[in-house]
Amino acid sequence: MNRRSFLVGVAALASNPLLRIADAYQSPPPSASSPGFRLVDVTSPAGIHFRHNSGAYGGKLLPETLGSGCAFLDYDGDGWQDILLINGMAWPNHKQAPTPMRLYRNNRDGTFTDVTQRAGLDLEMYGMGVAVGDYNNDGFPDILVTCVGQNRLFKNTGKGTFIDVTRTSGLAGRTGFSTSALWFDYDRDGFLDLFVCNYVKWSAEHDVFCSLDGKQKTYCTPEAYRGETCWLFHNRGNGTFEDATAASGIFDTSSKSLGVALLDYEHDGWPDLLVANDTQPNKLYRNLHNGTFKDVGVEAGIAFSAEGKARAGMGVDVADFDNSGSAGIAITNFDNEMIGLYRPARKGTYNDVAIQAGVGLPSQNTLGFGCAFLDADLDGSVDLVVANGHIDETVRNIRGNVGYAQPPQLFLNNGQGKFRELGQAVGEGFNQAKVGRGLAYADFDLDGDLDLLMTTNNGPAYLYRNDQLAGNHSIRFTLVGTQSNRDAIGARVRIEYDGSSQSRLVKSGSSYLSQSELPVTFGLGKRDKIARVVIEWPNGRIEDYKDLAAGQAYRCTEAKGIVPLARF
Amino acid sequence: MASLPKPSPTAGLFLGLIITIAAVVAYSWYITRQISTLRELQNNLVEHNRRDSLRLLRVQNDLNSLGLAMRDMLDNDEPYPLIAWQAQFQRIRTDLNSALQVEDQFSMAKRAPEQSLYLQESLAQFWDAVDRTFATARDGKEAEARTQIRLTLQARQATLSTTVSRLLVQNNENEQQAAAQVRAIYDRVQRQVYTFLTATLLAILLTSLYLIRWNRRLFAQLGDLSQQRSDLAQKLISSQESTLRSISRELHDEFGQILTAIGSLLTRSANHLPEGSPLRADLGEVRDIAQTTLDKVRSLSQALHPVMLDETGLESTLDWYIPTVEKQTGIDISYLKSGAPFAVDGNSAVHIYRVLQEALNNVARHSGARQAQVRLNFLAESLELEIEDHGKGNDGSASRNGIGLVGMRERAELLKGTIEFKRPPQGGTLVTLKVPREGYQQNGE
Repeated sequence: MNRRSFLVGVAALASNPLLRIADAYQSPPPSASSPGFRLVDVTSPAGIHFRHNSGAYGGKLLPETLGSGCAFLDYDGDGWQDILLINGMAWPNHKQAPTPMRLYRNNRDGTFTDVTQRAGLDLEMYGMGVAVGDYNNDGFPDILVTCVGQNRLFKNTGKGTFIDVTRTSGLAGRTGFSTSALWFDYDRDGFLDLFVCNYVKWSAEHDVFCSLDGKQKTYCTPEAYRGETCWLFHNRGNGTFEDATAASGIFDTSSKSLGVALLDYEHDGWPDLLVANDTQPNKLYRNLHNGTFKDVGVEAGIAFSAEGKARAGMGVDVADFDNSGSAGIAITNFDNEMIGLYRPARKGTYNDVAIQAGVGLPSQNTLGFGCAFLDADLDGSVDLVVANGHIDETVRNIRGNVGYAQPPQLFLNNGQGKFRELGQAVGEGFNQAKVGRGLAYADFDLDGDLDLLMTTNNGPAYLYRNDQLAGNHSIRFTLVGTQSNRDAIGARVRIEYDGSSQSRLVKSGSSYLSQSELPVTFGLGKRDKIARVVIEWPNGRIEDYKDLAAGQAYRCTEAKGIVPLARF
Repeated sequence: MASLPKPSPTAGLFLGLIITIAAVVAYSWYITRQISTLRELQNNLVEHNRRDSLRLLRVQNDLNSLGLAMRDMLDNDEPYPLIAWQAQFQRIRTDLNSALQVEDQFSMAKRAPEQSLYLQESLAQFWDAVDRTFATARDGKEAEARTQIRLTLQARQATLSTTVSRLLVQNNENEQQAAAQVRAIYDRVQRQVYTFLTATLLAILLTSLYLIRWNRRLFAQLGDLSQQRSDLAQKLISSQESTLRSISRELHDEFGQILTAIGSLLTRSANHLPEGSPLRADLGEVRDIAQTTLDKVRSLSQALHPVMLDETGLESTLDWYIPTVEKQTGIDISYLKSGAPFAVDGNSAVHIYRVLQEALNNVARHSGARQAQVRLNFLAESLELEIEDHGKGNDGSASRNGIGLVGMRERAELLKGTIEFKRPPQGGTLVTLKVPREGYQQNGE
């Protein structure tokens, strides 16, 4: 937003409430240096007034510096993406006003209404992350909130409210320091199972004293704590879960997991998992089709850096960023470690191409958390957005070129294997330094492009509206499973046109503590249509539809066909 | 006359050059060999050792992970049976085997076979114990399995860890030895560099001294030759002037008086003869011939050496000479004098006169000019004579004007003065002779 449009917005806000929204939503004029779109900070005009409470009181307890996450979800099934922002709380003996998570309903006009209380989510917990999935296949997304302590599962009643089913679902009684999570159907029985990352064995009573100067307490790095296994909960299909951690081979007490992404790295139609570990080798759990997994991270080349060092993996996302049909991987790491950008090489292996692709050096001095592949400029190649921010407020004293608050980064993909960091060019608000953590995307205003939601540690959340300036087109698909899980999580969507193709995976999880919308969006540049879309459903069924117009959203229902939705 | 150097310096210089080139070639070969040795050492030993250490560290890391896993198993704070750790152990086992396999390739060259065997056996025993422990756990005997972990697995893990640590220490010692070898090579090369540099500097110094000595000798010889030539020229000019002066005086004094006497006798004899007699007419003719001869003798005498120079000085001589040249050559010569005139001794005056004579001769013979200017400037510290024409021009090079210009320069040198040949802006030639007062005074002395 430039100064003029800002002043216009302020004047409108002050003079006429009816003009408030329209004026604040005016797009800035395109400029010659524009990358073809702008990310406009619409947090306040959209009615998002959220501030994360880390509970920090000076005790420097480890969880304080890591939260929290966010999600786009269509909780009321109206086709418009709503927003969920996870919050922490005060530590025992340091009471403050309650700071519950916030659910914002999309008003379908670019604004949101806080419906937390009405939805029954006005609850306090030390929340970290969120995973959204329709685990009971009733057509309404349910919410898992990962916590320091007991994770919470909220079942969507379909009437705009949620009920806490943690106990009845069988998830109660397991406490830990949980971080990211995702829903996926690893046994392809049509019901979403749950994977939860745990960071380290931590409790406030046993918080370790760490210090950079020997006097002031600082947040510890995870080496100071023992690892904790991730959890896998199998959905029995009756609303309850069973712990499949040990039986599935996921169990690993050395893990210090912060991010998890769903992928099908072998193209066998069975969902695999990629887990980003902090100072421990990343894990690639290959689905053995029999309810068990095998870690092939070392063989695949994603466990360690090129120097053989386990990096501080934070966030992770997976996407077909070179339109090769195979998914590449991005893992954010600590400062001085660079982002890991892995391109698929020979079958089942990856090469870290971060430096060659132009992502490595710009991320040398940043500490990345949330990350997401999305086609921000709708040119047909997915770009990479990263939320940055350090864990230590005093880092500048130790490392002069690394700040606590850091600008987010947007790496624009040129479609030929190279990325260019253009965070500065897409909007002043976006480029502002912040202590970024969670990151999610969705087309909340249904204009065909992908908007961003970002959380900061102990700070506000930000909503950035994507305003296309180059006139690129897109096509969107919302998948509804019938035999497969209803969210179609794990489905692969491939579009074909002019001898080219793009593919997306319908996925939960990814990024850091966050979840993006489930519908998939393909940028098409100036194309008006696609030749074909091929959908590989999670249960193995393949469907295809031909000659679909761009600038249109579609709903594909498994075995029932495709219907057009709104145009944009 | 200085004696010429007997031996030529070329042979010595060639010898120095050959020695220097040979030293550079030898040193380059030496350095190349040392670098190659270093590279070989680093590749074969240091790099080998580094990689081996990295593998050992990976093995050590895996053993530590096993230790941590066993600690977790014994802590009993997970809601999972011990068998749940089997996959974790299997992962570590795969990585450990892979690391050991690679490490074995790096370590074969220097490790005793019994060390490798001991490590393999220890590891096999450990995994055997692990398998038995998990088998016990699978049978539901959790407590017994935990006891096995505590009594057997942890002890074996510690033994393995110690073994690997020992190998790491050994690697470290090898690295230190290699580093010492590398240091020794560097020291040796450094010493050789200093020696080579010293030798090269010495060779350059000696060659330079040799060259300087030879150059100085050559310059001295050149100086002597130049002085000899100058002396010779001076003597030649002096001799020439002396001869000309003598001839001029003889002509003027002897033949002049004789011809004057003949003329007087003929006049007296004719007076004794009657008017109109043929003999009187003949005597009159003879007397005219004698008079003509007397004029020519006097003219020749003046040309060879103007007596006026000795009698009335340079200034008067020029006052007479320049109109004479005008008459003889038909060139319009403007003659200007400036400054306060001062006396110039006879020896110097004759050189200045000769320079003017030669310059005007050149104007008449070569320039094609019909006008010329002569300026005689009496300056405070010097006498300046300028002869300028705007004819074809003359740059003063001896090759074009022969011996005349050489003579002018020699005379200028004899006077301790300078002579310059320039081209005026209008073209032609400007000859400027500048004679310092002390020059002709010394010359006069």
